[in-house]
Amino acid sequence: MIHMSNLMMRYQTGKVALSGLNMDIPQGSFVYLIGESGAGKSTLLKMMYGGLRPTSGQLKVQDTTIRGATEGQVRELRQRIGIIFQGNRLLASRTIFENVAMPLRVQGWDAVRLLPRVKKVLAFVGLEDRLWSYPETLSGGEQQRIAIARAMISNPPLILADEPTGNLDDDTARHVLDLLMSLNKLGTTVLMATHDLHLLTSHPGLVVQLHQGSLVTGKKA
Amino acid sequence: MKSLKRSAPKLKHNHQTSMRLPGGWQLPPFGVHQVLALVIVAVALWSVALIWLALQGGQQWVGSWQEQVKVHVYVDEKNQTSLEALQNRLSHIEGVQSLHLISDAEAQRWMEKWLGGSNLNAEGLSKHLPDSIEITLHEPRVATVLSEIQDVAERNYGMINEDELKLVEAGDVLGTVQSLAWFATLILALAMALIVSNTLRMILLARADEVYLMRLMGAKEWFVRLPFVLEGLALGAGAGFLAWFLLWPLLWFSSGWQDSLGIALSGWSMLLPLIIGGALVGGMGALIATANIVSPETES
Repeated sequence: MIHMSNLMMRYQTGKVALSGLNMDIPQGSFVYLIGESGAGKSTLLKMMYGGLRPTSGQLKVQDTTIRGATEGQVRELRQRIGIIFQGNRLLASRTIFENVAMPLRVQGWDAVRLLPRVKKVLAFVGLEDRLWSYPETLSGGEQQRIAIARAMISNPPLILADEPTGNLDDDTARHVLDLLMSLNKLGTTVLMATHDLHLLTSHPGLVVQLHQGSLVTGKKA
Repeated sequence: MKSLKRSAPKLKHNHQTSMRLPGGWQLPPFGVHQVLALVIVAVALWSVALIWLALQGGQQWVGSWQEQVKVHVYVDEKNQTSLEALQNRLSHIEGVQSLHLISDAEAQRWMEKWLGGSNLNAEGLSKHLPDSIEITLHEPRVATVLSEIQDVAERNYGMINEDELKLVEAGDVLGTVQSLAWFATLILALAMALIVSNTLRMILLARADEVYLMRLMGAKEWFVRLPFVLEGLALGAGAGFLAWFLLWPLLWFSSGWQDSLGIALSGWSMLLPLIIGGALVGGMGALIATANIVSPETES
């Protein structure tokens, strides 16, 4: 699913964000990406969807080599990845339906097929009754569940989550993580950057620790 | 579950301005920027339409709807002996395409048409008309042809129709005015495109998050840009329709003046040019606005 070999990323400012990363993440894994702020977690996640290109080394995500990929290949890869942000990035002026259906719109789905699919994923996250609501009417936890619904709607084999529980209280964070775990049990690979280490005990997975851009450890939590 | 470390940001959006479409989609909110752009572009298009309507009126007035310029030379009854020589000399002037001696029957038909339904005897009146030669000129017109015709006519006891000469000169002036109208149209079209472009840039800034998300989801560039291009087209076409609508009061108010000049300005002839022209400048503005949509990959 994901292969890294001597992966290095240096910004134009000269700062080395990632250095000499070697790692393989197999299909169906649940991976926690941990480390202090500035350790390179977000940089690594951005590289995985082609938002940043490696300075050297190799990064292969779903058989796409990020460094040499064309814009078209990056677009195709992004259609096979679900992304969840810490700030959920829901569009406030759009309904929940429009927010969740956006990845399918991008992929050119017929309008008639959208509604049943959106209803199905909203039922999965327990918010099927909020189809025509606006994000601002939802709580932070509900908004993050909508963001999960949006990320999973196109049934991507890989979900990248950048601190999805960062703004949530413990109970809500656990509920969000339950959803991600459920997705993982359905075969989706989940890569989640987090600071909430206490979640690792209740929701076990592979832990990848970064420190100043280097891999410290990769172990089973 | 409900207690949060940080409450959700309270965002204020006026959802009532959006239009719900079947399937749950919405048109983008029609805000004050779009209304302003619509009005400004409509006024500019209205000005352009007025220029072209004025030109249309001028062309009708001088009769330049004729494809070819024709002038008439008259010969009095007492000078009829010189008619053949006059014809011969006129035909040798550079820039004269053809000559046509108007027969008595033609003159009578013309007189009947001119008299309309009156009871006057056209046959009797037409007998008093002088012999006339209709001269068709080459296009583009040779600069000296009119003065030469006038000269030859005078030397051979003929007389050129002075009113026709004035109309030809007025037609020449209208040709210059038409060139200026094209220039003004192009300048105003550019200004309109920039107004639409500015409006769409503001909308793009307001929807930067949406553009960013679409790109993250693997949207093709045309997919990202198409809504804005369509919006530009719709805005321009809407402004064109509004401009066309605003022409009618002016046409109605000027109807008496049009009648007195013997012209009939057509508002309907401006409908398609205004809508299509508006859509074109709107589309051009949208293309300018979306030429470079910056969407930083870095999250805030």
